[in-house]
Amino acid sequence: MKSYEVKIAKEKLLPEAGIVKAPSPNGEQESMITGCWRVLRPVIDHEKCTMCRSCWIFCPDQAIEVKGEEMAVKLKYCKGCGICANVCPVGAIERVPELDFEGGVVRLEKLF
Amino acid sequence: MGKVQEITVWASGVVQDKEARDVAQCLAAAAAKEGKFIQAFDNYVDLPDRVNVPVRKYARISDSEIEEKYLYENHNPEIVILVEPTLVKGVDVLQGMKGDGCLILNTGRSPEEILKFIPDKTPLKKIACVDAMKICPKAVIDFSGSEGAVEAAGVGVGIGAVLAGAAAKVSGCVTIDSLMSEVGNPEAAKRGFDEVTIKEL
Ligand code: SF4
Ligand code: SF4
Repeated sequence: MKSYEVKIAKEKLLPEAGIVKAPSPNGEQESMITGCWRVLRPVIDHEKCTMCRSCWIFCPDQAIEVKGEEMAVKLKYCKGCGICANVCPVGAIERVPELDFEGGVVRLEKLF
Repeated sequence: MGKVQEITVWASGVVQDKEARDVAQCLAAAAAKEGKFIQAFDNYVDLPDRVNVPVRKYARISDSEIEEKYLYENHNPEIVILVEPTLVKGVDVLQGMKGDGCLILNTGRSPEEILKFIPDKTPLKKIACVDAMKICPKAVIDFSGSEGAVEAAGVGVGIGAVLAGAAAKVSGCVTIDSLMSEVGNPEAAKRGFDEVTIKEL
């Protein structure tokens, strides 16, 4: 039987759930840096955290990572939506105004 | 063509979209009342249907007719207003400012505290903070006015009026009397005018 398989070059396929350019080789979506949206920064209390990874699963921007023995927030992409703080079963994530921190500046020259 | 004064208002998408548009519209309407030539419009390339995405609204004021009808961005803003003060950290809001500029933020923090986040202060002449949420704790969330439709909630009834009042004081682009006659909540505009903290640089 004749095969009707459509051959599309891999780099021409859209990334899953993505409408922006394909991820860069380092696995980040550098054409959509959402860290500049953040008004409230999620701060993880590592004493309370049980490493259940709920925040890691639910973060819509994949901005939470497991770093060694701790959970960590990638500030370049965290848009401060607060979903992680809402799903954390032990209340280990607090939302703190971004302007309270001197660091973590994601100053973009151009938005998009 | 005479000098065009450019005003750029930054805000978080959806939650402050309407208030930011009101700031631009009220300032432009007040200037029109004074016989100036004006333009006021939303930024075209922003994606404003996403909550918290940075969005821009523009106003232009001039003594003579504004010729650049088809220039959709303010490239050299003289007055920059942040409805969401945190954007001072996220975006280069002073980009294109040529000097003698004003930055007005909606925050209870002091201008000194905000200056820490501005690496290059040279284009700034004044920085001002006004706690609009304290003066008028209402941020109207409404999309009815976008794309030129009718404003169902009224223009300048929430924090936008306070920020427009503050901008009038800091920059002098319009008088408070003409502004008060154009906003839905003149009292809030007057309080913004009176209570803004200004620091000259
Ligand atoms: S605030 Fe939102 S974007 Fe940031 S880490 Fe939490 S879930 Fe992710
Ligand atoms: S959801 Fe809470 S407890 Fe679970 S890994 Fe994240 S911070 Fe830790």
